[in-house]
Amino acid sequence: MKQSLYHLCRLSLAGVFIYAGYLKGSDPVAFAGQVAAYQILPYAFNYLVAATLPFVELLCGVLLLLNQRVRPALLVLFGLNTVFMLALFSLVLRGLEVDCGCFQPAGEEGTGTSPQMALLRDAGLMLAILAAWVLRQQHAKEPLDG
Amino acid sequence: MSSLFLPSGRVMLEALVLVLVAASAGLSLNYSMVMKAFSGRNVVAVPQAATQRAALQFPMPVDYEELDQLLAAGHLLVDARDPNIYADSHLAGAISLPLAEVDQLLAEFSARVPHDKPLILYCNGFGCPDSFDLGVRLIAEGYLQVQVYEGGLPEWRDRGRQLESGVTP
Repeated sequence: MKQSLYHLCRLSLAGVFIYAGYLKGSDPVAFAGQVAAYQILPYAFNYLVAATLPFVELLCGVLLLLNQRVRPALLVLFGLNTVFMLALFSLVLRGLEVDCGCFQPAGEEGTGTSPQMALLRDAGLMLAILAAWVLRQQHAKEPLDG
Repeated sequence: MSSLFLPSGRVMLEALVLVLVAASAGLSLNYSMVMKAFSGRNVVAVPQAATQRAALQFPMPVDYEELDQLLAAGHLLVDARDPNIYADSHLAGAISLPLAEVDQLLAEFSARVPHDKPLILYCNGFGCPDSFDLGVRLIAEGYLQVQVYEGGLPEWRDRGRQLESGVTP
């Protein structure tokens, strides 16, 4: 039971982050525009984030999919997701209605996800990350369990 | 219990390596974009994107000559004039959405007419801005194909075409 829950969390996180990383990584300039819309980073750093972040997501997703180095990948995703949620929360506080830039970089106007919805979704991802982490740790403590 | 939550030093180190590997892969693949950005040059041509957005927000004009073909293809005529004048006479098949009452009527209109329905708006001909203004509102509301028949009711009437009276069924 616990094991299937672990694999469920692991595989769904893998799917989400491979999808997100692939979409954003294939159009870094558009993604940089979305990062810039958050109005948090200075100009050029938006491009630095756009150049690197999708690949971190992609690598974490692939590791989760292959069930290799799961704990480091989960730790990185935990960190990323924390940053995402803080950034989204700052949008809500500042009343900025920009597309969250979570998945589709070149989305048509008006089809994006609102910061509130994105926060909710990230909270769900956070639960999956924490669940996978705890289950993986327990699993490591009982190696005879398979 | 806390050991379930806290990552070990080895896991943290591996996480760091993971980030460094992915980040350097991303950097080398997007090297020119990042270097451009840090040297202060524009990576994206901004004016072009701005004009594209402007073109999307305004309705395009349609001539009398094109009208019949579009109506046959299922475009819907929308009368932007006062409802009393509409009741007196309007283009055959047109429905009424007066610009002056659009705030009150838009929700109902939006529920009745799907957003992918192509619309052709008109009012009292050349020099009447109502249909254009209504078009801007409808595009903002999410209508995807909005055009303005600038000749409006006068041109239609002068061409001897059919007019109807009464209110929208």
